[in-house]
Amino acid sequence: MAFNNRLLRALSPADQETLRPHLRWSELERGTVLVSPDEPITHVWFPESGLTSIIAMAGTDQGIEVGLAGRDGLVGMPLVLDADRTPHRIFMQVTGAGYRIDGDLFRTVLDDHAGIRKLLLRYVQAYSTQTTYTALSNAMHTVEERLARWLLMSHDRQDADEIPLTHDFLALMLGVRRPSVTIALHSLEGLGFIKATRGLVLVRKREELEEFAGAGYGIPEAEYERLIGQLR
Amino acid sequence: MGLTLIKFTDTKSMPRFFLHIDDGTQRIKDEEGSELLDLTAARGEALDAARQLWASAILAGHDIKAHRFVITDHDGRVLETVDMDDVLPKRLTGRLGL
Repeated sequence: MAFNNRLLRALSPADQETLRPHLRWSELERGTVLVSPDEPITHVWFPESGLTSIIAMAGTDQGIEVGLAGRDGLVGMPLVLDADRTPHRIFMQVTGAGYRIDGDLFRTVLDDHAGIRKLLLRYVQAYSTQTTYTALSNAMHTVEERLARWLLMSHDRQDADEIPLTHDFLALMLGVRRPSVTIALHSLEGLGFIKATRGLVLVRKREELEEFAGAGYGIPEAEYERLIGQLR
Repeated sequence: MGLTLIKFTDTKSMPRFFLHIDDGTQRIKDEEGSELLDLTAARGEALDAARQLWASAILAGHDIKAHRFVITDHDGRVLETVDMDDVLPKRLTGRLGL
């Protein structure tokens, strides 16, 4: 059976067979918390679909999205880096499903299989590039440009052109008040790039959206493809 | 697995307020609304949002002084309006002749 997760896909057949007996299927409903701040990480997830958000917390109930992973990546990255927890919160932002593997087992597999370890370390590098460009975007770009970037990143990680998102989520992703999201969606819609309806954003003109997003989009994606393989 | 679901809003008791934006010629509709404690909280949300919208508008060279928030309930009943320049410092509004 072929994997949809790009990391599992990029593994050699032998490395895939090493992991396969340890993988357990998980349905991952929107809002499911996969990693809680400062608590031991018990599992690593390889999403086959859906989107996870990595949130840097400001206090207990506020934060901003600092990273995004779906079928391109994994959840539980600290375990790849020999750490057992993170101050971040990671949750499902778009419902999906994927494989999970027990954390202790995962570490043992990494110790014994250099091919798996090296691929996942390259993913950490690709992910880290993504977060640095999120920093760039947060500092240099308008809410409209950041929204465009964010929609493209979500679009990359799914097959359909319709992205199921609420304005509440988008506000959390972009670290802005909800009316700023309303205005930004309205602007992008006015340009004909997207169509926003309740709980759903339809990507209509992807190339134009890429151009509009500017420097925030493209470099991390190219880096991913150089290090891992096809992203979309 | 005992995974917890993140709780974003308390759906039990709080009413939903819609913060539409009138830009002088058209209404940009708030399709989803926010669950907030009461109208005072909704007005506070509009004022905070107005500060953020001004910040973006000034950086982009746009003028939004004709914009205002129209706060409605689920049935579209207008509960309150909040002008964008309500949040501008008085000294600034004086100088700009607003």
